[in-house]
Amino acid sequence: MDFSLLLDPSILLELLAQGLVRGSMYALMAVGLSLIFGILNVVNFAHGELFMIGAYVMYFVVASLGFPILAGIAAAAVVLFVVGMLIERVLIDPLRRRSGRGWLLDAFVLTIGLTVVFQNLATELVGSRRQGLVEMIPGSLDIMGISLSYDRLVILAATLVVGAGVWLFVRYTPLGKAIRATGQDAEAARALGISVRQIYMITFGIGASLAGISGALLITIFPAYPTVGMLPAMKSFAVVVLGGLGNLPGAIVGGFLLGIIEAFAVFFLAAGWQHVLTAALVVLVLVIRPQGLFAVQGARP
Amino acid sequence: MSLTISGLTAGYTREVPILSGVNLRAEEGMVTTIIGPNGAGKSTLLRAVFGYLKPASGTVEHFGRTVTGLEPEQMLTEGVAYLIQGRSVFPSMTVAENLELGCWTIRRDRRRVLDALARAYEQYPRMAEKRNARAGSLSGGEQRMLEIARITMTNPRTLLLDEPSVGLMPSLVEEVYQQIGALKKAGYLILLVDQNIRKALQIADYVYVLKMGANSHHGPAAEFKHRLADIIKEWI
Amino acid sequence: MRAAKLAVLLGALVLAPLFVSDHFILSILIAALMFGVFGAIYDLMVGYCGLTNFGYAGFIAAGSYASALGASFMGVNPWVGLLVGGILCMALGFFTGLIALRVKGLYLGLLTWFVGETIRLTIANSTEITRGMLGLTVMPFPDLLGIDFSRANLHAYYYALLVIGTAIVLACWWLVNSNAGRAFKAIRDDELAAESLGLSATKYKLINFSIASFFTGIVGAFYAHYIGILSPSPTEFGVSRTIEVLTVTYLGGRGTLFGPIFSGFLIVGFQEALRGIGAWRLILFGALLISVMLFFPRGLATLKKWLW
Repeated sequence: MDFSLLLDPSILLELLAQGLVRGSMYALMAVGLSLIFGILNVVNFAHGELFMIGAYVMYFVVASLGFPILAGIAAAAVVLFVVGMLIERVLIDPLRRRSGRGWLLDAFVLTIGLTVVFQNLATELVGSRRQGLVEMIPGSLDIMGISLSYDRLVILAATLVVGAGVWLFVRYTPLGKAIRATGQDAEAARALGISVRQIYMITFGIGASLAGISGALLITIFPAYPTVGMLPAMKSFAVVVLGGLGNLPGAIVGGFLLGIIEAFAVFFLAAGWQHVLTAALVVLVLVIRPQGLFAVQGARP
Repeated sequence: MSLTISGLTAGYTREVPILSGVNLRAEEGMVTTIIGPNGAGKSTLLRAVFGYLKPASGTVEHFGRTVTGLEPEQMLTEGVAYLIQGRSVFPSMTVAENLELGCWTIRRDRRRVLDALARAYEQYPRMAEKRNARAGSLSGGEQRMLEIARITMTNPRTLLLDEPSVGLMPSLVEEVYQQIGALKKAGYLILLVDQNIRKALQIADYVYVLKMGANSHHGPAAEFKHRLADIIKEWI
Repeated sequence: MRAAKLAVLLGALVLAPLFVSDHFILSILIAALMFGVFGAIYDLMVGYCGLTNFGYAGFIAAGSYASALGASFMGVNPWVGLLVGGILCMALGFFTGLIALRVKGLYLGLLTWFVGETIRLTIANSTEITRGMLGLTVMPFPDLLGIDFSRANLHAYYYALLVIGTAIVLACWWLVNSNAGRAFKAIRDDELAAESLGLSATKYKLINFSIASFFTGIVGAFYAHYIGILSPSPTEFGVSRTIEVLTVTYLGGRGTLFGPIFSGFLIVGFQEALRGIGAWRLILFGALLISVMLFFPRGLATLKKWLW
């Protein structure tokens, strides 16, 4: 390890840029995961498989049907929104009725089953061949001595836009407020006439949709194949733990933080060790600050 | 006009009904108080009326319309609002957001929402002052006030109040009961359950006593005020 | 009655391989038995004490690699290696427990998941020692008491596993019926209430977790010398393997200890029988877990009153 390399501004900048792009990949998925946990109290293990479906939708719409990139992303968002709502209504809602104190774990195990089903359904229906796009927008931007492909800039920009959109939505729209109210006190929300079941279904749909958008956006980096979601899922779990379960801004900041840490780790350690570092970091955070690094006062632990 | 409950049977499991065949009639512009020993099913009765749990049998009629087994959101459109037991503000949202959420069932009618907000701020100046404060930062009494303001946003005709004074210090209990008195004057039909029997009887016009999930006595509040000691002794 | 049932179960397990000479079927029986034992150990944690070890496969890996590396670098006899694997894994479990058991329920699940991944990824990246994903060749057990333990003799491996597994499951059985077992169950049902009775939840959780890790390490070490080649892939020592063990436990019925033995055979048996339908068998596997959660939270124990 030669830390003096950090004194070279172009290397530092390059690593920061890579970290931001990497971080934006994690953040978008983590926001969905965090949203679903914050409102429904469900830790969705199948989040990576929603990502995988998003990647397939993108491939199908863009590569097979020849529609533009934006149509692929929109299609992934819509398809996953519907898939998410179906999962909630058909599986999670019935479980909620019969589960008691073990709810968190029961729901987690249920989504584990879902992971196995989705991965193998994909293998069965489309095979395990990798199907990706080489690039969305050709070319790259050269600035301050570093070079960033347009694709990566699009990923970064899209994450910021979608992330901000979600934040504005839950913050300022009536439906967003009802979603937050349900997350804080479902019974009180119900007393005001908010249909908590509907809110749960929609929220799961939105969270799934965000995973689908990430899957579509990242298709140039992660081509579609049945188990493609596992690594991004693990990373988004790490981000959510770092940012605090259920904390949306925490998920974004945590995503960028993890991305930058990993970019530096890849540079200074041998490739592969960044995954070890991530896992160890998560263990450390869970031990020292289980409420996450950015827990705000009043947030749930 | 009235809220009429006939033969209501309900419980959390089918085998063990908490309420068995409860009858009750509450009139508009009056406070009807339900008292009874612990576990008599007072709160359960309110929850069954409001749709949190489905009655196994019996009917609920509200201002001439049958509302048995409706969902909470439908009850609100029928003009019934419910103050749930314990703290129920959304602590990390502002006072204004909490009040807006009280307008959820009328959210598509922007004018009505704005009217309701203006009315609430006029009636509760404290809430107007603190409209941008997080509800969790309010004092216990202020949170209760917000909760009460919040259930009147949709202009309901009937208020189901479940333990409005629970967990409050005595001076605040007084304040809460002043608010309930004001609601009574404003002409609401109020169905009240409270641990603080003395206060609940003071404000009541009519009283029902439940025991073991069934009717025991009922009558005008005046009759109960001097018999209170006897009734409570009976529970022990 | 209980003892008679156990005798029948054990008898069936002893007799089953006698009718089998086919190498392939024997290997399936071994896999089924191994999953059953892992499932029972997992049940000791989750079913009796409410501890969710979601990095379970990482602990199996620790036991496997400890014995395998001990044998190839330090010439440790694989039979002694069983103990080495067990003790190393117990130490790992103890230290994980020390830091992890302060968090509860799902947080514990997440934490152990990342502990397991840390173990697996460390193994995968320490290529000079473990050869990483290329795979580490592991020697078979040496002959013991004049019994031939070359890999051609799978009967020997089956019975060795049966002896080890029986000892472990009986030890678990004894444990859950002891005073400590009552403490486990009290913690599982209501930790606060248990502590109000003056029992230290942390202590008993730590005991449970360490013992379960010890047993896991032993079986993990056995696995290494039986299978002959180890690689730290997600399917072998990652979350997929944990999910398989977890499903065995959930299907067998949490808190039954013997249920997972049945479900181990059921699941492995069906998986093999259904090989012809390709990925659909794994889809069924996932659907099985979902339906256990939705319809049979007690797993096979729901059927117990009719069948057993």
